[in-house]
Formats: sequence, C-alpha cells, structure tokens
Amino acid sequence: LTVTTSAPPLERLKELLAEIADIRHTESVVDWDSRVSMPHAGAAARADVSATLTRLAHERFVSDEVGELLDELGSLDEDSVDAALVRVTRRDWERSRQVPTELAGEMSHATGVAVAAWDEAKASSDFASFMPHLERQLELKHRYIECFPATDTAYDVLIEDYEEGMTTAQVAEVFAGLKPELLRLIEHAREDPVDDAPLRGPFPLSGQEEAGRRVLAAFGFDEESWRLDETPHPFASKPGLGDIRLTTHSDPKDLTSVFSTMHEFGHGVYEFDVDSAFARTPLGGGTSMAIHESQSRTWENLVGRSDGFWRWFYPQLQGIFPEALGAIDAASFVAAVNAIRPGLIRGDADEVSYGLHIILRFELEQELLADAVAVRDLPEIWNTRMKEYLGVDVPDDAHGVLQDMHWSIGLLGYFPTYQLGNVISVQIWDRAREDLGDLEDDFARGEFSRLREWLREHIYRHGSRYPPRELLQRVTGSDLDSGPYLEYLRTKFA
Amino acid sequence: MTEPRFDQLKERLAEVDDLRNAGSLLFWDQRVMMPPGGSAARAEAIATVSTIAQEHFIDPDIGKLLEDLRSFEESSDYDSFEASLIRVTRRDYEKATRVPPELVGEMRKASAVALSAWGPAKEQSDFELLRPHLETNLELRHRYVECFDRAEETYDVLLDDYEPNMKTAEVREIFDGLKEQLVPLVREIADAGPVDDSFLTGEFDVDTQREFGLEIARRFGYADDEWRIDQTPHPFMSSPGSGDIRLTTNYRPDDLSSIFATMHEFGHGVYEWGVDRSLARTPLGTGVSLGVHESQSRTWENLVGRSRSFWRFFYPRLQEAFPEQFGSVDEEAFYRAVNKVQPSLIRIDADEVTYNMHIILRFELEQELIEGRVAVKDLPEEWNSRMHEYLDVEVPNDARGVLQDMHWAGGGFGYFPTYSLGNVISVQIWERALEDLGDIDERFERGEFGELREWLTEHLYRMGRKFTPQETIERVTGSRIDSKPYVRYLRQKLAPQPA
Repeated sequence: LTVTTSAPPLERLKELLAEIADIRHTESVVDWDSRVSMPHAGAAARADVSATLTRLAHERFVSDEVGELLDELGSLDEDSVDAALVRVTRRDWERSRQVPTELAGEMSHATGVAVAAWDEAKASSDFASFMPHLERQLELKHRYIECFPATDTAYDVLIEDYEEGMTTAQVAEVFAGLKPELLRLIEHAREDPVDDAPLRGPFPLSGQEEAGRRVLAAFGFDEESWRLDETPHPFASKPGLGDIRLTTHSDPKDLTSVFSTMHEFGHGVYEFDVDSAFARTPLGGGTSMAIHESQSRTWENLVGRSDGFWRWFYPQLQGIFPEALGAIDAASFVAAVNAIRPGLIRGDADEVSYGLHIILRFELEQELLADAVAVRDLPEIWNTRMKEYLGVDVPDDAHGVLQDMHWSIGLLGYFPTYQLGNVISVQIWDRAREDLGDLEDDFARGEFSRLREWLREHIYRHGSRYPPRELLQRVTGSDLDSGPYLEYLRTKFA
Repeated sequence: MTEPRFDQLKERLAEVDDLRNAGSLLFWDQRVMMPPGGSAARAEAIATVSTIAQEHFIDPDIGKLLEDLRSFEESSDYDSFEASLIRVTRRDYEKATRVPPELVGEMRKASAVALSAWGPAKEQSDFELLRPHLETNLELRHRYVECFDRAEETYDVLLDDYEPNMKTAEVREIFDGLKEQLVPLVREIADAGPVDDSFLTGEFDVDTQREFGLEIARRFGYADDEWRIDQTPHPFMSSPGSGDIRLTTNYRPDDLSSIFATMHEFGHGVYEWGVDRSLARTPLGTGVSLGVHESQSRTWENLVGRSRSFWRFFYPRLQEAFPEQFGSVDEEAFYRAVNKVQPSLIRIDADEVTYNMHIILRFELEQELIEGRVAVKDLPEEWNSRMHEYLDVEVPNDARGVLQDMHWAGGGFGYFPTYSLGNVISVQIWERALEDLGDIDERFERGEFGELREWLTEHLYRMGRKFTPQETIERVTGSRIDSKPYVRYLRQKLAPQPA
C-alpha cells in the first residue's frame, strides 16, 4: 500500500498531476455537454456535479503532499521540460494556497448567483437588479487581492491570473500607444464609410455550415480528432489529447459564423498541436490567455480576412450563396469584411473598434477597483465613453454595460488579454513571414500548412513550457510591443 | 428528527454520486460525441474518476458513520428514506470494502485490454485472440470471489453484483422451468410452418425511422427538455443526472430494428426517470437491479411494443411512413412478422421465446467456466454443440457464436441471467398492472400509454433502490419471482392455435 509514497518525488508529482488533469478533462466534458448536448432539465443536477469536480480538483492540487514534493524537488536543470513542469506547478500551487478555501467557496457561490442575475438583468436591460451582484463581486475581488503580497496596483494581482508576468503599467503603456491611433482610424472611417451591401445576405444556415467546414478542412480540421457544433456563444475546448471541440453560432442575416469558426479554430489548433508528451500535465495547454487569443485572431483576421484567403475562398462562397453574392465582386466583398463600422457590441466589432471596446473596459475595471467610479454610475460612464470613443449612442444597458458576462462570473482583469492577443498576433505574424516569405500566395491556393507548421514548431508544441513573455521573446526576439500591430493597422486601414 | 451524522453521510454519498454521474457522462460522450482520436485520454479520465469515486465511497469515515447510525436506523421506520439509505449503503459498503483497490484496478485494466482484443477477434472470427484474456478475466474473478465469505456456489458471488441477493440455485430452478416449457414450444411453432416476414427487410429511410421512433417515444412519455436520443452501433441508456435521460438506438438502413431498440431503451430510461426525485444524489436514486431494469425495457419493447393494440394504433402510421414496404401488407401479417419465432444464431436479434435459450446456454457455460468444468479453450466447441442441442442451429463461425457478445471480455460473468430474469419479472408486473388498469388495449389502440407509465411509476419506478430486488418485486406483485406467468404469456401469444 505504500508503493506510491516511496516513488521518486517527480514521478509521484506527475501521478498526482495526471489525476488532476483527468478531473479537469471531466470538467471540460461536463461543461461542453452543458452547452451543447444536455437536456435542459439536467441543469440542476449538473451544477452539483460541476461543483464537486471543481472542489475535488482544487483540494487535490492544494494538498500538503504537492507542496512537500515541490520542496523535495527544489529547482531542476533550467532547460528541461521537467524543470518547466515543476516551475508551473509551484507557481499555481503557491497562488492557489494564498486563497483560503472559504473565500474560494464564497467566490464560486457568488459567481453562480451573479451569472443568473446577469442573465435576467440583460434580458430585461435592468442594470439596477444586477448592481448588488457586481458590488459583491468587487468586494470579493478586494478580499482576493489582499491574499497576495502587495503589488504596484491592486489590478496587477488580477491580470497575473490570466497573463503571467504582465503588469497593469505595461498594459496601460501599450494601450496608451494604441488609443489615439484607433480613435483616428475610427474618425477617418466615419468620414468614408464602406458599403456593407455584400454582407446583407440571405445566408441560409446549411450554406454557412458548408462554408465553415470547407475552411476548417483546408486549415487542418479532421474528423478523427475534431468536432464542430452550434451554440449561442462560440467556444473551443479540449477535454483531452486528440479531442478538440469547436462551436460556432450562425445567424442567417450575416456571415459572422464563418469568422467565429476560424477564430475558434485558432484556439483549437494551438491546443491540438501541443506536444503530446505534455498530456495530463499542467504543460499540456496554451501558455496564457493573450497568446491563445493571438492565435484565434491570427486565423480569424490575419489569415481569414486577407486578400489571399479570399482569392481562394470567395469563388466557393459565391457558389454556396449565389443569391446573396452572385452579383458582388471579390474586391467589394473583401472591403466589406474588413470595413471599420463602429457599433455597440464588442463581440461583433471590427478589428479597429474592437481595441476601443477593450480599452474602455480596462479603464473601467481599474476605476471600479480603485473606487474612482461607483457601480451605480457605471451605465452613465459607459455610455458617455462609448460616444466619445466610438461615436455611438447606447440605447439601453443590454446593449451597453450589461452585454458581457465576464464581470458576473468574476472575470476582472481578463478583458485586456483580448487586445494583447491582437498586438501579439502581429508580432508573431511578422516573424513568421520573415521565415516563410509571402503567405498570400499559399492562401490563394487554399494552402495553409506552411503557416500552421511554423506556428506549431515555434509556439503550439511548447504548450505552457515557457511563460508567455519568455515564449514571445524566444519567438520574436522582443517583449510585448505594439509597434508591429500599429504598423499593420496603418497599412491596412489608413 | 434530525440526526447530524445522517446529514454527513448524505453529503458524502452525494459527492460519490456526483462522481458516478460524471463517469456516466464521460462514458456516454465517448460513445456518442467524442472524436475517435480522444479515446486514449478518455480511458485515463474514466479510470481516474471511477477510482476516485470508489476511494471516496470506501473511506473509513463512511464506515464509521454507518456504525454510529445503527440505532438511528433501528429507530426509523423500515420504509423510511433514512432507514433505507443506511441499510442499502451498508450493504454496498460492506461489499465494496471487501475488495482491495489493487484488485479492482487489475480487473478494470484486464477488462479494458480484453475488450480491445474482443473487437478484432470477433472481426476475424478468431477465438484464439481472445482466449488468453478470457483466462485472465476468469482468474481475476476467482480472486474476487475469494474476497467474500464462502457462498454455496462460487457463481453466487458473481451473480450478486448484478442481481443482489439472488442465488444461483434460484436462477437454475427458474431457468430449468423455462427450458422445460420453451423447448417444446419452439418445436410446436416450427411444426406449424413458416411465417412470412420478408417485408421487414428492405430499404428504410433512416430519417423516417428516426422520426417514427421519436413519435413512439413521445407517446410513451419522452419529453424534449429531459430526454435525448442519439445513434450508436450498440444501443444503450444513460442517465448522468436527475432530469437527464439519454437513449441511443441504431438505425439500420435495411430493417426496422431501431424502433424496437428505441422502445427497449425507453423502458430503461423511463424507470430511471420515474425514480422519486428525493432519492437523487444518493445510492437509492436508480433502478434496483439489472433484472428489474430489464423487466422494464422488455415491458415497453415487447409487452407494449409487440402487442396487437399497439400496432392497431401505429401500423397505419407506419404504412404511411413506408408506403412502398407496407402498402400491401395487412396489419395481421405485420403483427405476425414482428412476433415471428425462429431459432437463430444471434442473441440480440432473437425473438421473445428463443431469446431465453440463448441466455440459458450462457448461464450454464458461465458456471462451468468458473467451476473449471469447461476450459476456456473448449468454449467454442461447447457453445456450438449446445446451440445445436437447444436451438437446432449450426454455428458457422465463432464470430456468430461464442464471440458475438462483449460481456465476457468485459468481465461481466453473472450478468447474462438478468436478461431472462427480466423477461420473467416483466410479465409478473404486467399482470398486476392489468388487474388495476383493466382493458389497457383499448387505450393503446388510441395511442395512449400514460396510464401504464403512471401505474409503473407509482408502483415500481419511484421506489428506486430503497428495497432489495426481491422486496421490490413482492411489493409490486405480492409474490416471489415466478416463471409461470411468463410461460403462460408466451404460450397464449405465440403457440400455434389448433386449426
């Protein structure tokens, strides 16, 4: 019976981590099923199952045994995979141990209550009913932050959860560089609007599925290891090695499903291509939210809105939607899918407006946390800034401050990673093209494998072996830098 | 009266139940949704989750709580939720703690390995590929049996896992009775001449089958917000949580077997669905045994789904759905065809009568294997000679003989008898229901099945696992398990009428 405890510490640690990975695998299937296949009435029992799995994974991970094993192991030879495993585990373990179990329980409970309240508040566009829940989430965030050693700003603690090694100051600096340029481009676009007639449809759903699947097949989706389903909010998940699940959302009035499919493919392919030797360890997934988002944006925007891509795919799309697109030439179509059209909803935003949606949220989160803005004043401030940044009038809170679920589930500090993803995507993209030369000709032939292989080699296969900033340094030779992204925006939109 | 230790016990058991539900979902997802590339990782996840569930259940804290709750149990009414939960948990706990976790792990691994050998063995009809794995499985069963007090027969211990408290001797007695009655019945039917069922084979559009099966299920009580139905090669039912019932069926393009499989799985599903919701997240919140479970799948598949009155309602609709196949076939001919009795090679395709002979053969062989009276290497020969003896059929190869079922590869020795026990029990319960409900045929002819479902829910389903299978059957029927009603039913329905 004592066989396991006498195993060498590294082996024993891996065994414990593999079990935890299996529980996470189960959580992932449970979550996917809740959103894709569960009969509606199963929700209550499902909430119990999810809570139990989350608690068990947490309990197992924060155990003293994991700490003792980490102590025994100390620091391993710098460059090895095992050293990375120990480093990542130690960081996660230490962060998890900072938070008392009671607080973790309170946070998880508050989230369950708040997300339901948000759902209703959004449906009836009633911010007042959501307000106490948001106040509660903020209070809990303050208590959470206090569990950690003091940092420059309280917000640093929150960012660190999603983007290791990133600070508020750095994000602020990057965003400060972007903001005037984005505002200028919006201004410019308002003076010179692009015709959106090519995107008015109708686009029957079966055609959208066909289009999405053809694109995925060319990108490298195969039935052996992937699946694609329809959900209201698209997402990607990987329960385990060799099992990648994307979802998309189709609306007959537009073609967003095609872009959301490419977006989720980017998340999926990153996970799919992680070195299989990292399976069932904490190294087996993408290294950070921003790096992940850089890849979804790469496949959605840098590939999926490029001239080369549409030279290949537009004739096929016309074939699928002859009624809507038969009379539209390729150039007008490409112009339309790349147009800047300031709007109310982050999820529908174009590449330029998107950045301002994020900057708005990044600013407000910090102000909320510093008590510079009171929760009750949030709608008014939101609406004022939407007017200021994007020139749009917010008609109601459902299309304003209540549009995103993030705050209700306690995700403060998460939004910036979306825009950091955009910035990083171009840093990596420039580097890839230095190695590969022009890719547009590949795309025009429906050929994406050189790009995918390069990304696999330089980014995907490493999983979480390197922290995000180190990975970026290794790949691009530089730290986070908004220069390439700004240059990309100017070239594309000016 | 509140008893804090009882609440603690409930909380511990709820956690175990959550893990088991998670395990069911992993299994369902693997069969229905998972891309094939995910199988290796999934096997690990399933193993881990079931090990953790097992660890949490055999935790000494639970044993201590059960000890502390003895007087609470005794002071509670036998029928109460509290007494039942403690009683049933104690029985489960005592069994589970007998078996060292290492052996559980070994058995699970050996089954997984054997199952992956079974596939190719069946495909290539090569028994030799499976033989060593069956030997390992049997040897592990011997070690398993040794964990328990000596039983009258070794097989008792195996049977108890699937049909708690049932003894081999009881099953033997029931099966001997069946065999004695069924062998001549099969012969009489054969002598009466062949029944034409050629129109049951042909081209049947799969989407139409799907819609038709769903229409039946909805008439039975399937509701979209609590149920779902999918396609898998081997139909099954799974309920990964209260209010969440999942059926699968297999739509074959050349016959209508999917419809009967759907009704069969509906029967399993409606049993789980009807268990009292207050028993959810406890070990009481599920069907009481495999035999009783099977009685319900057979009720909805055969007693309802192969009855005249059922087809009185559905046959015109079936003709409409498949006009080419059935336009010129009258209802009586169709009824006779779906009730045709004809000895054949494959258990799962067998009719209501010969099905039991397939089971009896397996029941006998299992006992002989476990007692060493038949060696694994001689299994194919034994199989073939008994198929000849019982059903007068020649087995052309092992794929269609001893290799047809996955049960033994999966380690499920003692499972098969529950199928026929289910048949027997189904008619005992059915007769009791008819006493209360009167002329049920008249309702079936109108496509109404709600009264039957409600009766079964009220008298059987809602009890879940509160009582033993024997107590459950007695409470429903007022008698012990008894094969006479079943034999009577078969004769009445299927014996040739004197001209």
